[in-house]
Amino acid sequence: MSQGPQTYVHIFRRALRSLWENVYLNLVSMGVIAAAVLLMGVYLTFQYNLTQLMNSWDRDVQVSAYFHADVPEDRRESLAARIGEDPRVARVAYVSEAEAGAWLAERVDDLAPVLEELGSDLLPASLEITLAQTDNVERDIAELKPLLDPADFAEVDHGREWVDRFEAFVEAVRVLGGAMGLMILVAALFLVTNTVYLVIYNRRDELEIQKLVGATQSYIVAPFLLEGFAHGLAGGVAALLALKALHVLLIGRLESALGAEALTSVSALPAQWLLGLAVLAVVLGVGAASVAVTRFLATAP
Amino acid sequence: MIRFYRVSKQFGAFDALRDVNFQVSKGEFVYITGPSGAGKSTMLKMVYGAVRPSHGKILINGTDITRMRASGLPSLRRSMGIVFQDFKLIPTRSIGENVGLALEVIGASRDTIRRRVDAVLSIVGLRGRADELPHTLSGGEQQRVSVARAIVNDPSLLLADEPTGNLDGAMAIEVMEILQTINLRGTTVLVATHDGGLMQRFPYRTLRFRAGRLESS
Repeated sequence: MSQGPQTYVHIFRRALRSLWENVYLNLVSMGVIAAAVLLMGVYLTFQYNLTQLMNSWDRDVQVSAYFHADVPEDRRESLAARIGEDPRVARVAYVSEAEAGAWLAERVDDLAPVLEELGSDLLPASLEITLAQTDNVERDIAELKPLLDPADFAEVDHGREWVDRFEAFVEAVRVLGGAMGLMILVAALFLVTNTVYLVIYNRRDELEIQKLVGATQSYIVAPFLLEGFAHGLAGGVAALLALKALHVLLIGRLESALGAEALTSVSALPAQWLLGLAVLAVVLGVGAASVAVTRFLATAP
Repeated sequence: MIRFYRVSKQFGAFDALRDVNFQVSKGEFVYITGPSGAGKSTMLKMVYGAVRPSHGKILINGTDITRMRASGLPSLRRSMGIVFQDFKLIPTRSIGENVGLALEVIGASRDTIRRRVDAVLSIVGLRGRADELPHTLSGGEQQRVSVARAIVNDPSLLLADEPTGNLDGAMAIEVMEILQTINLRGTTVLVATHDGGLMQRFPYRTLRFRAGRLESS
């Protein structure tokens, strides 16, 4: 009698039966996978939002160029027009000393008498230059520099030093997080492998008998791989649900505690990333089962 | 059917079998006997490929199994049935499932399995008890389940390693009668035993081992 579709039915039934008969060990296995994938998901959400934040800064780069007090008005306007024609520049806004002073007074209402006494030219006039969309902010700023002659401008501020420091921080988080993620995955693989090994060990007599009555290696191994797949799938789905719940609960609580509207911009991971996490969970489940059953068969009589 | 040609087996410094030569023809009933440690079980394990010889050749139906790769063992074992002294039944599976296991691994349909299981349980006198668990049966009945599993796929060769070792006199005779019936249906039967009484009651050709050597055949 040759092996046919019935063999797959038997394998499937064996896997289902084992899942039911070793329900506690299987739950441990699923739980470990869920915890590992949830940790990965939390880290990735953090990393994703940091990257999004940095990208938004890169998308909306503003350069403030402060005039010397003695630059005449018509010169300021011609400079604004010339800079505005540059293809790297999206728009230019001229802010006079009076407008800058009014802007400051509006924000520090309590100091209005002091500011009035100091005069309307407390703050220098400036050009607020918004850069066009670019794939290289550093290059565009450098290329714009010749237009911002120190003879006209006392200071040019584009806030890039701070952004660069933040980028370095994000990179460090990425490297550290990647290393930690790898360690979490290896630890999860180790734990799940040993849990599946216990399931296999519980059934060692049955496996020995299967071998003696002519079961092929693939017939013996396949149900465990199916179980690993089920562990991974269930663990992955549980992790994604927990990630969603964490996102909703934590963001809601932080918002009400801090009243920070900015937190509403903390995004959940995109669908492709979530799918990737689910695939990772399944790979973890099947991989652990594969390692466990190979280890068992290598030592079995 | 079976041919051992100058077969030896060493486990470290211990010689389990030394230069063993014999032949078993199709349809024969043969005892393998000798004291404990004589090499009976080692010899049987070699026939179903669980132990490989250190030297020599073993031919089963003309195929040299000493050259067989591990992936070839399942098909070899599907052509034979094996009965063990400790029955080797799965305690959490019903009698029907235990017996049907040998058919399940070759992909038989559930209908075929049910039909064949009922048939062999009738042969061993356990008809209608397929749904019971092994622990509800006596030792003799459990051994009969083990025999049923060994013959369910209609093998050409039946190996039994001390099949009556855990049974009392009456139960041992029942099991031997079943093995005899199976042999009369054309199956070659090899029984490893040191029960002289049974060999006298059911007299067949005997391979006698001592300290790994075949003393007489």
